[in-house]
Amino acid sequence: MTARILALVGDCYGARGGIARYNRDLVEALAGAGAEILVLPRLGDASGLALPSGVRQWPAVFGQVKFSIAALWAAWRHRPVDIVFCGHVLMAPLALVVARLLGAHCWLQAHGTDVWVDRREVVRRAIEAADMVTTVSRATRRILLEWVNLAPERVRVLPNTVGDQFVPGPPSAALRQRLGIGPGPILLTVGRLAPGDRYKGHELVFACLPALRAEFPGLIHVVAGEGDDRARLEARAAELVPAPGAVRFLGYVADEDLPDLYRLADLFVMPSSEEGFGIVYLEAAACGLRVVGGAGGGAGDAIPDARVGLTVDSSNQAALIEAIGRSLRQGRGDPAATEAYRRPHFAAAARLLLARVQARPCRKRGMP
Amino acid sequence: MNDRMAARGPDGSGYWIGADGRIGFAHQRLAIIDLSEGGAQPKASADGSLVITFNGEIYNYRELRAELQARGRVFQSESDTEVLLQLYAEYGDAMVGRLRGMFAFGLWDARQRRLLLARDPLGIKPLYWADDGWTLRFASQAKALLAGGAVSNDPDPAGIVGFHLLGSVPEPFTVWRSIHTLPAGTTLVVDAAGPGAPQHYYDVAGALAARATGRMVDPATTHRQLAAAVHDSVRHHLVADVPVAVFLSAGLDSGALLGSMAQLGARDISAVTLAFEEFRGANLDEAPLAAEVAARYGARHIVRTVDRAEFERDLPAILDAMDLPTIDGINTWFVAKAAHEAGIKVALSGLGADECFGGYPSFVDVPRSVHWLQAVSWIPGLGALVRRGMSAAIHAGLGVHPKAAGLLQYGSSWAGAYLLRRSVYMPWELDDLIDPAMLKEGLRRLAPLRRIGAVLRDGGALGDFDRVAALETSLYMRDQLLRDADWAGMAHSVEIRVPYVDPFFLAALPPGDALAAADAKAAVAGWKGEFLRGVARLGVACLASRLDRPRRRVKRR
Repeated sequence: MTARILALVGDCYGARGGIARYNRDLVEALAGAGAEILVLPRLGDASGLALPSGVRQWPAVFGQVKFSIAALWAAWRHRPVDIVFCGHVLMAPLALVVARLLGAHCWLQAHGTDVWVDRREVVRRAIEAADMVTTVSRATRRILLEWVNLAPERVRVLPNTVGDQFVPGPPSAALRQRLGIGPGPILLTVGRLAPGDRYKGHELVFACLPALRAEFPGLIHVVAGEGDDRARLEARAAELVPAPGAVRFLGYVADEDLPDLYRLADLFVMPSSEEGFGIVYLEAAACGLRVVGGAGGGAGDAIPDARVGLTVDSSNQAALIEAIGRSLRQGRGDPAATEAYRRPHFAAAARLLLARVQARPCRKRGMP
Repeated sequence: MNDRMAARGPDGSGYWIGADGRIGFAHQRLAIIDLSEGGAQPKASADGSLVITFNGEIYNYRELRAELQARGRVFQSESDTEVLLQLYAEYGDAMVGRLRGMFAFGLWDARQRRLLLARDPLGIKPLYWADDGWTLRFASQAKALLAGGAVSNDPDPAGIVGFHLLGSVPEPFTVWRSIHTLPAGTTLVVDAAGPGAPQHYYDVAGALAARATGRMVDPATTHRQLAAAVHDSVRHHLVADVPVAVFLSAGLDSGALLGSMAQLGARDISAVTLAFEEFRGANLDEAPLAAEVAARYGARHIVRTVDRAEFERDLPAILDAMDLPTIDGINTWFVAKAAHEAGIKVALSGLGADECFGGYPSFVDVPRSVHWLQAVSWIPGLGALVRRGMSAAIHAGLGVHPKAAGLLQYGSSWAGAYLLRRSVYMPWELDDLIDPAMLKEGLRRLAPLRRIGAVLRDGGALGDFDRVAALETSLYMRDQLLRDADWAGMAHSVEIRVPYVDPFFLAALPPGDALAAADAKAAVAGWKGEFLRGVARLGVACLASRLDRPRRRVKRR
């Protein structure tokens, strides 16, 4: 049976970031199962983009009230709707109301810091009323279940998937030359440089560099990503790492350029303490790069075993230095460890979850 | 995980890992039926497509085996475990409704790539599970799940509050957020999308309602039915390839079991009685009366005396074996210890008789409270107001029982009156015991009144007796008595069988109203005249009933 889905999301097509990418992957997987999906985002412009068959995206609506009105209008236009998919817990109350009005199921997606921070009663009640909640990692699921009363079987984990372009390959000499990077070794961090994302731990890596450079004299830290916190981070890097050029800020790197960047690096390091999942760990590992992540949060799911890398308590500088040094000496990781995260597995899991939501009895008869 | 449960099965251990390495079972064996390797577990079907790890006993396995053989199924062993595999192959998940016994099992169906978890109808055998979203783990002990090291031990406020309210942790909660009890009478299917919702296949209130339908029974018939039901249940519970003993207190319930065993021709019966050094020579000492009863039936009577020093020595081991916190179970620990010392593997217990036959004061108090107070329940806020006022008076030291304050607020509903009767503390008394945030969260998730009331949801228009029987059976007996019997018995590698806790037995009993009218408790003993006369001759029949020591403390009379 074809499912008709209304997806209320923060961002999806035409937007950057891990959550937008996750939403795109999920929408594509569900559309691949025959679902007809109308996406209503708060951010992102999909005009001019070729969307998968069965998927439409309306123009983004940012304001809360406007978005709510748009959601009701989209619901009316897209009816009959079987499932209202909510891509962010912030919108859970709205999604639940729309679902109830439509007599549809409510499928809520939780990522990471969204459920760690927003613990308002109205959000909690909406989450508890959802037919199914999916989370990107076991850590997010565990944290969610700390404060919402949901039967465990209604909270499933659907981890990020990694794109087919993320595969091992030879380091690009052209890229090395373009970036003006010496023989290395190269530590790489990819992530948004926003004040709200300081948990990613860039500064912690900067602080380790002097000690690491004693053993690896040519070591440099390449930071990919853009954001309002960049100037401050650059200042901190200069302060913590006296050696000029030891930290290189690349700014935003387009998705299509990321595989080459991963292949160029020797170790991916992001000692994040609150990562919901950390798709960049997975991408790096899929390109054959060994990975050091932060313990806490969902990084443990993106770095599933020692073939790929390890997680470390990011507050322990000595441990972080030791982990980076050991990982550099170990060389590259085994990309086969990321096979379970490839798209076919993700799509199969998404289809199973879709079937599970559809199998649940509807709670309320909706509009005609 | 399996090592943590070594005491549950000292006769052997086994492991099985699926061909793709994505599923595995482990098992500790206490060999009771088919002592050969044929009874070893985990056990696979002949073609390897089904694999099971099973805890418990199936008392009607021979009948089921014969039925399946008649349908063309070929058996490789004499074990009840293989009957489960063949029964699943024949009936699928519906097999659980055919089983008479105590069980908790996980059954892997390789063809359908699904795992069936199931627990017996009344919750004799425990089954705990933990799901982190990637991996589902299950075990007979919650502490075994923790021992594996991969399951979080974050506290669960609902379980902690539930323990403080009731003295045991109400299912499906445990005191750990990540670990859940599979409720009694439910199955749980795990497939590629993870665990589904637990499916109920048995409900006590529903079963009592079915029993009550259109059956008016006179006292004489009640007594006959009762006698036949006890006899039949004991007969089934004697199925074993090792000797079956009995835990004998001075009460009528266990005496009736011994009488039935003797009447059924059981030979060389061992009867184990617990005595306390501090009670020696006093009225509370059960040993003399139990000795009379044992002698009457020619049983080998083992009296095990416990003193304070032994209790203090054993306390650390007790706390370690205690899977979930409980305010009871100590007597079972020591009587099981005595049984183990005597080389006994299996013993019958009179547990559950009070729930069937109305042996608790709650059978009188709860209906009386509901009927008397319903008249004032329509005044909104009155109960809460009175409770607050009286609480203040109690705090001022007026000597009023704390529960009295809640009488108007709680006493007019079945759930409220039951909570008043059974609670250790009432919700408003927990402020001083539990962190406020944890208390609030725990009460919110536990929703004690709604949870208690749910027991009666499928019971329809049950009579007073059956309502209380359903509550006691589904809550106190399940969460406290049966759980305690399991951990305390299995810690000593002793299987405790409970003939009064059996859906087939419950269904064979006369309706609750008839049981109430016939004074079923006395009738249990009376059906076997010789036994009753023996007790009467001792002149302590009534006293004996009151001195049913292993449960006396927790009756909270």
